[in-house]
Amino acid sequence: MSDLGAGKANGLNITSGPVEANLEEGGTDLMKAEVLKQVGRSIPMHDAVAKATGRIRYTGDIDMPGMLHAKLLLSPVPHARIRRIETAEALAVPGVWDVFTYENTPSVLYNSQVWFAGQEASKDERLFPDTVRFIGDRVAAVVAADKETAARALSLIKVEYEELPAVFEAEEALRPDAPPIHPGGSPFFSKELVVGDVRDIWPRAKAIAEDRVETPKIHHAALETHVCLAFPDHNGKITLVTPCQILYSVRLIVATVLGLPFNKVRVLKAPMGGSFGGKQEVILEPLAAFFSRETGRPVKIELNRQETILTTRTRTKTIGYVRTALAEDGKILGRTVRTVVDTGAYTSNGPIIGVAMGKKVFRLYRIENQLYRTESVHTNTPVAGAARGYGSPQIHAITEINLDHVARILGLDPVELRLKNLVHPGDFDLSGGPPLGQARILECVREGAKAFGWAERRKRPQGDGRFRRGAGMACATHSNGYFAAYPDFTTMTLRMLEDGSLILNSGIQDLGCGTVTSMKQIIAEVLEVDPERIEAPEGDTETSPWDAGSQASRVTHVAGACAFEAAVKVKEMLRRETAKILECSPQEVRLESERIWSAAKPEENFSYGEMVSLIQSRNRSEVIVTSTYRAQDNPGSYGANFVEVEVDTLTGLVRVLEVLAAHDVGRAINPGFVKGQIYGGIQMGIGYALSEDIAIDPNNGRAKGDRFSRYHLINAPDMPPVKVILIEKGGDLGPFGAKSIGEIATCPTAPAVVNAVNHALGTNLTSLPLTPDKIIQALHYSRH
Amino acid sequence: MELRLRVNGIAHTLEVEPQARLLDVLREQLGLTGAKEGCGEGECGACTVLMDGLAVNSCLVLAHQARGRSITTVEGLAAAGGLDRLQQAFIDQGAIQCGYCTPGMLMSAKALLLAEPDPTEEQIRLALAGNLCRCTGYVNIIKAIREAAAGEVALKDPAAGVRVGKAAEGERGQELPQGVLLGNEAGMAESAPAAGKVLSGEGEAV
Ligand code: FES
Ligand code: FES
Repeated sequence: MSDLGAGKANGLNITSGPVEANLEEGGTDLMKAEVLKQVGRSIPMHDAVAKATGRIRYTGDIDMPGMLHAKLLLSPVPHARIRRIETAEALAVPGVWDVFTYENTPSVLYNSQVWFAGQEASKDERLFPDTVRFIGDRVAAVVAADKETAARALSLIKVEYEELPAVFEAEEALRPDAPPIHPGGSPFFSKELVVGDVRDIWPRAKAIAEDRVETPKIHHAALETHVCLAFPDHNGKITLVTPCQILYSVRLIVATVLGLPFNKVRVLKAPMGGSFGGKQEVILEPLAAFFSRETGRPVKIELNRQETILTTRTRTKTIGYVRTALAEDGKILGRTVRTVVDTGAYTSNGPIIGVAMGKKVFRLYRIENQLYRTESVHTNTPVAGAARGYGSPQIHAITEINLDHVARILGLDPVELRLKNLVHPGDFDLSGGPPLGQARILECVREGAKAFGWAERRKRPQGDGRFRRGAGMACATHSNGYFAAYPDFTTMTLRMLEDGSLILNSGIQDLGCGTVTSMKQIIAEVLEVDPERIEAPEGDTETSPWDAGSQASRVTHVAGACAFEAAVKVKEMLRRETAKILECSPQEVRLESERIWSAAKPEENFSYGEMVSLIQSRNRSEVIVTSTYRAQDNPGSYGANFVEVEVDTLTGLVRVLEVLAAHDVGRAINPGFVKGQIYGGIQMGIGYALSEDIAIDPNNGRAKGDRFSRYHLINAPDMPPVKVILIEKGGDLGPFGAKSIGEIATCPTAPAVVNAVNHALGTNLTSLPLTPDKIIQALHYSRH
Repeated sequence: MELRLRVNGIAHTLEVEPQARLLDVLREQLGLTGAKEGCGEGECGACTVLMDGLAVNSCLVLAHQARGRSITTVEGLAAAGGLDRLQQAFIDQGAIQCGYCTPGMLMSAKALLLAEPDPTEEQIRLALAGNLCRCTGYVNIIKAIREAAAGEVALKDPAAGVRVGKAAEGERGQELPQGVLLGNEAGMAESAPAAGKVLSGEGEAV
């Protein structure tokens, strides 16, 4: 079946070094599941009880004495210069404290996705622009004693707009006569990545498939809408309480916009009511901080759903052109992929995300000739930005749908085709990216296909009545941090207290996925304690060390590795200090289940608390360690989804009957959390494939899907049963070999669903989401 | 306007604007912030509370419609300090991630179990049709409700053991309390029929 030439396989494999050693031996002892006591347990999230009882205080639940409420006026027009804003009437409303527009707020330009000082980015956003660039752009804000007063005053602001020509579609924006949205027009960024040479593969091909795949602008749909609270103190410091993903990005942008020293901006991570990348960029925080400074009061901004959909961030709408050449034996000869990235009205991560997409196309299959080209454009539509997968859901939809297409032309089973071409553990990234590490996608596909009953389901007749069945699958890869792209490191301080309990001081931000508990499990494993004995509060920029944030699928792999190292060092210190007390060598010190003793005198054993107290009083030392972990690898995380669907040819409705997800996660620190990510990722992926679309009207720039009654998330009756297979073989540098799951979880789902629908109907649908009308139309064409 | 109602067993007499939503009165006047606003239009269920034992979207109910009624919020689901069987099952089954949908999920599940102590999986899914969750894919939420129901049934009728659900297709319609979800027959192409849960809707609050 596999016909990889030996020479080629060798050319791609790492044949020596530690990676290979781990492959042979299955890694060190700590990688062996049977010795682990805390890692691998599905314990509940640290705040599960507070969430189940309603006791937890999200930002929107917080009230402060004297707190004011801000409400934003959003632009009703897609592109216009503001001629005049009349605010006097609004200001006259009793209870209104102030009204803000471009005329009385800083004109400092910034980019909402910048997260470290010195990062280059195109800065084209300000608190309130004098030219609005999409329906939903910020025009003004009223700050008032209560929400109702703010809303009433908002309706009294009069704005005179001078409308400008607008463009709503990415490919229209590429035309030379398109109206410019920012100086220089579109594309404002383009980049090419090349491996081998694609020019001479086409004549040698047995099958070529070319597709245009369109992926929609979607809403992250965290149940908690965007919210932020800021308050000033008596010394000119502004404190922010915010459910954010990157504390230090908030600090950087707020300090920049307000012109404050970094140590006069304090950012506290609030409980996160869901983010999915939507709260990664800094949107409300500089506004709230500025309003609170100007009014001298605490100010809360809480958006409603419609405002959150329109004026925060969206997943980047992307159009992809793919052309793939297959040899007779099913090997991929080469491929060209071109993407047009629609970043909306402001640049945000527009240049980065097209490149992030491009990197993935070199890390899933062994393709020796490949050309990737991306162009980014502005449109007069809501701003795109970070979104779970950061381009991976888009690029995998684009390439995996095309791969099924070319398999169909050659008459090859999609699983067979993938098994012939997928990367192997130890492969290099041919485009020069970091090595793929223990890339176990082949195992995901083999095990997944077996457990799903792929061969049988795929052979089953689709039926020719009203309901048709089909089976589809897709693969995906995603990153583990920023190593080799951006500075990626984390610092943590871990200390053991006089009762043997521990405090981890770090800049982590838990997005509701279990970061805090995972860190506790990692530390608990190393230090032989119960995870309950550890406090691991989320970050506070005034007191916590720097962290690159909960982004780029780096938290478990990189921050987790830092927690691991800090725990190892605390253990060393505890041994060293204990040896002084027990008058033995550090090597003789034994630790188990929160007891500590010298091997020479096992009968004289102490609790951790007793020993820490002795260390303090006799050695005059604290058991405390500060440790910096610098990421040194960035292996791929991998996953495959297998899906069966039923399509109603009368209504065009698709029902996903079952999903099986197989993921190479290295090691599941908390398997319950890992599975939870996969279940949720699949829900998001099915929505991406079938129903979710903000759907900007190409005629007027209005969002059709601007509220939940017009934006359709998959609900409980529509959610299929899900089976999960975890491949846990470790071998990379994460704690206990752990790799990321939160983002990769959603990446293979949409193309797998689309491939299943195309299998059911014999169609080649490529425009997401596959709404009923698109399906009916495709059936209509295929009949005529 | 004066409003008398019971919330979590406590009788209150409040001064409330005629147009105030029940959700705002609970959150702002009574400090019960468990119920959340995820959409303000009856689509997400994050604001679900019980009114005389039935699940309602408190974002669509005027406070004065609760006159003389008994409201239960997530804070009142269990006796002080304890946990309801549903809450315990949600914790044990990993049904809680970010937790923002959790209060609404719990209250919808409670309404279901009050009306149907031993629901089928399909009944559970239908009862949650108007409660959106972005984190969990509902998988563990459904599992948790089944577990809580099985525990409850076993408690009342030890002979029943942990049988999960009963095939009672014929009686389902009658057994669901009025006002609880009617299901999402039209699938995702239609807007989710959370209206089935709404006792009254006075315009959109967005
Ligand atoms: S807030 Fe969404 S249904 Fe009430
Ligand atoms: S747990 Fe986050 S929305 Fe349900």
